[in-house]
Amino acid sequence: MKYERSSILFGAAMLALAGYAGTASAQTDLERAMSSSSNWASQAGDYANHRYSQLKQINASNVGQLQVAWTMSTGVLRGHEGSPIVIGDTMYVHSPFPNNVYAVNLKDQSFKWKYEPKQDTDVVPVMCCDTVNRGLAFGDGKIFLQQADTTLVALDANTGKVVWTAKNGDPKKGETNTNAPHVFKDKVLTGISGGEFGVRGRVVAYDIKTGKQVWKGYSTGPDNEMLFDPAKTMTWTDGKMAPVGKDSSLKTWQGDQWKIGGGTTWGWYSYDPKLNLVYYGSGNPSTWNPAQRPGDNKWSMTIFARDLDTGVAKWVYQMTPHDEWDYDGVNEVILLDTTVNGKQVPALAHFDRNGFGYTLNRATGELLVAEKYDPKVNWATKVDMKTGRPLVDKKYSPQTTGPDVNVKGICPAALGSKDQQPASYDVKSGLIMVPTNHVCMTYEPFQVEYTAGQPYVGATLTMFPAPESHGGMGNFIAWDPGKGKIVWSKPERFSVWSGALTTAGDIVFYGTLEGYVKAVSTKDGSELWKFKTPSGIIGNVFTYQYDGKQFVGVYSGIGGWAGIGMAAGLTKDTDGLGAVGGYKDLAKFTTLGGSLFVFSLPGSSATKTASR
Amino acid sequence: MRRGLTTLPALALLVSLSLCSATLSADTTAPAGKTVTTPLYTVKDGNKVDANTLAGWKTWRAMACDRCHGPTQEGLVGPSLIEAFKTITKEKFHNQLMKGSPEKGMPPFATSDMINKNWEYLYGYLKGRSDGNILPGHLYPIDDSSANTNAK
Repeated sequence: MKYERSSILFGAAMLALAGYAGTASAQTDLERAMSSSSNWASQAGDYANHRYSQLKQINASNVGQLQVAWTMSTGVLRGHEGSPIVIGDTMYVHSPFPNNVYAVNLKDQSFKWKYEPKQDTDVVPVMCCDTVNRGLAFGDGKIFLQQADTTLVALDANTGKVVWTAKNGDPKKGETNTNAPHVFKDKVLTGISGGEFGVRGRVVAYDIKTGKQVWKGYSTGPDNEMLFDPAKTMTWTDGKMAPVGKDSSLKTWQGDQWKIGGGTTWGWYSYDPKLNLVYYGSGNPSTWNPAQRPGDNKWSMTIFARDLDTGVAKWVYQMTPHDEWDYDGVNEVILLDTTVNGKQVPALAHFDRNGFGYTLNRATGELLVAEKYDPKVNWATKVDMKTGRPLVDKKYSPQTTGPDVNVKGICPAALGSKDQQPASYDVKSGLIMVPTNHVCMTYEPFQVEYTAGQPYVGATLTMFPAPESHGGMGNFIAWDPGKGKIVWSKPERFSVWSGALTTAGDIVFYGTLEGYVKAVSTKDGSELWKFKTPSGIIGNVFTYQYDGKQFVGVYSGIGGWAGIGMAAGLTKDTDGLGAVGGYKDLAKFTTLGGSLFVFSLPGSSATKTASR
Repeated sequence: MRRGLTTLPALALLVSLSLCSATLSADTTAPAGKTVTTPLYTVKDGNKVDANTLAGWKTWRAMACDRCHGPTQEGLVGPSLIEAFKTITKEKFHNQLMKGSPEKGMPPFATSDMINKNWEYLYGYLKGRSDGNILPGHLYPIDDSSANTNAK
């Protein structure tokens, strides 16, 4: 093997220089870049999905003075998810479809290069929930763009020239991409979207140098196509880990349904170099009509731990067997060490769409904690810790009531107690800062036929703010992953659809759908600063340091599922039928946008004078 | 809220579809116990319809049109069909449905058996919604006596 695992684990701490064009060593250029908090070199800032920065020039005592340093338009008026990445003196900015890329010189904000891909517009109609893109990745001197049309592009980080491309799917079958590519060591990993078109989910690993496929692991189907070893791939069974056995997926589907069974892979992946394991979640089983697909529908709604080099699954855990609510399991897996029942464990934390916050042993896959992170969650009373299965309340079970019956008052709604908006791990306190939805729904499933490239949904639903609560549709919470308890909770008018950022300055940043970017105290959630950007925020807050000065940035541009109602004039109350339910109030606060906002403290700065 | 429908006798609705479209808002209230019959659809109590219109609604539902046009057809990322159906002809609708407008996000449905079979009924259903004679949401067969108890 090329790299010594032990030596790349944490690397040399805090490199003073932010340059990435170093010589080859045990560390990759990405790992070297990530080890300096001046950079924001990957979407989460690290492999572990922490979204945490050691920078503290901006901190709880001075964040109130934060002001706009510079802004930039992406030229696209759609939902802006993800964030730019920063390596050295360059920021790499991306846009929703058509997925433009800008390399911005931090010295004067001029463009070093632009990449504007030509994509067939046929891809737009088959994208679920707006034409978002969750950002770029960096590694091996390249910038990686996962285009909507399923083309993965490697660009020379210095020139923007295409080094290689790889095709990951077929939009004619409803296969598209919204996820960011992920660079782990010497590979680029990417997934697929299209759970509403009967797409069969998989993760593909490409060689970072050549773009050649190294492995592909499906979420459903025969063992060899899922890269499962029936005797060695483990799962939580009757209170302990046990092998999944032969045909663990095939046995849980009727006939060939697994071929159009979903389990797509559009979330934020993480990687533990010491264990050499990659972690990600799979999405909903297709269709949304549960009566049409009997069985547990494995391995949709599942956390996978795969060996980075071979792709073989070491362990799996299915959060929501036989989904009846569209509770995709794609949300990020955060790698952290925590204390559960007095014992220190190498753990992972995961806030599932289904409303449960899970803590598992990331080395073994053992289930340690599964508790509701929104008290309004009602579809299941609890997770049985022995079987690992949720105890479903029949009152809120569309499977039980059957097709063409409208099941009311299900919490959370299909977009989950949290969707893709990534949480942030506060390394100082050991708590996780979680942007959440506080939304419930009605759900009416119905029979659908599959046609390739046509919608394969099979349910009508409406959403509304969680009843008998604060009236808002979101909360921003601090969560103890060892205990499975909410430490504090700050109500929000709308879902918090923006990724959080925690810093060593004892502050956590997030954006709101009205367009505010906020800084709150990690201690109690008290609001320390806010600024209204022109459009709602569904992007992730990031930070970096340039020329001795700390900056905090975020995209402003509403869209995505929560914001999808923005584009048209929804002014009428619809007698409980919902339209986009409470979200239509958004039109009173914001409109479409597409810009990047960068903030800093007042005072002299090289970026302002353009001289050094 | 305007209650355009309740103030008009049902017979007037038979006279001219274009007149109806021009004078009625897409109200969410419809008269109980009244039947409206047009060449395109028959609706009773706002949510019980003839078999063809029911097939049109089921096609709307199965093709997940609500994801863009909204659960009440008033528009989301896609345009309001309540507005569009005040003017769109059957021919233009057919063309739009089969070819789509990919650059705007409208997929072509030419490969869907259900659309090929039911597109005229879908036209009728959406016309009924635009006319304000058909309520948003679940529809039931006109001769289904259980409809009232199942209705939202």
